[in-house]
Amino acid sequence: MVAPRWAAAGLLVVSLGAGVAPAPAGPVEDKLIPLERYATAKARALGSSHQQQLLKYSEYVYGCLPWLDVQKQSIGFQRPKFAEGDDRYFSTWIIVDQKDDPRFAAAPQARRMSAMFSRFGMDLMRRMATVHDVVADANVQGFSVVTSWLKPGSLAPGSQPVNESIAVFVDKKSALDYMERRISAAELTTKVRSLAFDGQKDLGVIPLEIWDDFFMATYQVPNYDPPPGVTC
Amino acid sequence: MHGRLVGSALVLSIAVIASGCATSEEWAEWRSHSSHFASGQHATFSLKNREGTAPRVARSDIDAARAENWWGKAITVSPDQIFQN
Repeated sequence: MVAPRWAAAGLLVVSLGAGVAPAPAGPVEDKLIPLERYATAKARALGSSHQQQLLKYSEYVYGCLPWLDVQKQSIGFQRPKFAEGDDRYFSTWIIVDQKDDPRFAAAPQARRMSAMFSRFGMDLMRRMATVHDVVADANVQGFSVVTSWLKPGSLAPGSQPVNESIAVFVDKKSALDYMERRISAAELTTKVRSLAFDGQKDLGVIPLEIWDDFFMATYQVPNYDPPPGVTC
Repeated sequence: MHGRLVGSALVLSIAVIASGCATSEEWAEWRSHSSHFASGQHATFSLKNREGTAPRVARSDIDAARAENWWGKAITVSPDQIFQN
């Protein structure tokens, strides 16, 4: 069951290394954090030295995972709110475009958070881990993925819709240990830092669970053609 | 009498909890469900209704379907609540 995920990750490595054709400017480039937005020299150096790799990664996500919308200016090297030093995490913020589903809506909020991170966030983290130059950089502390989706039932007429969000930060060693099966999902949950939000309301610490979910590795949009030059 | 009241309250609580949560079977169904993608379905539907064209879906079709079905800007956590520059 693990093979398809790593096969997908392998394809990402191949496509990154193959010199993908230039992407359409807007939807790929505008996902990167602009260099001028970084407040420290360390962050600017990371953003600058890995810019081409980040662009190719952004192009891959845009072309190959169209059910995800990446938040503008979210791919780059973020410092979590809780960090005391200048710890930089290779980060992506995704908004999941999913249909209303009564079974999902009926799950408790903490379970929805766990499900969405396990399904989308963790898989994206695996793909981020294949961007070797970034992962090998000693100035990169770890990975972070923010996953947002429409809160069930928040599309009532006359009211503004609300997104639920879960932000997860994992240090590099723990993430790689989990991906390479040296630690279990249960152990990983003791090593991550997560921040959960209902709209803009901070939910504090929630009991995050992580489990294997193969949706991202197996799902394909019927009859979908990736943009020219992108190998999925 | 007291025992019966406690018992009734317990049954009622369980019923309320059960009605508000997905059963494990329903949850298992969600986890195995493979057609969550909203805009993808809209894009495919639109293309199938175009005469004389093969029903292929391009990334731009998905962007267009997403824009057509946009329900307005959702209230979302601000980056400042998660990150510092």
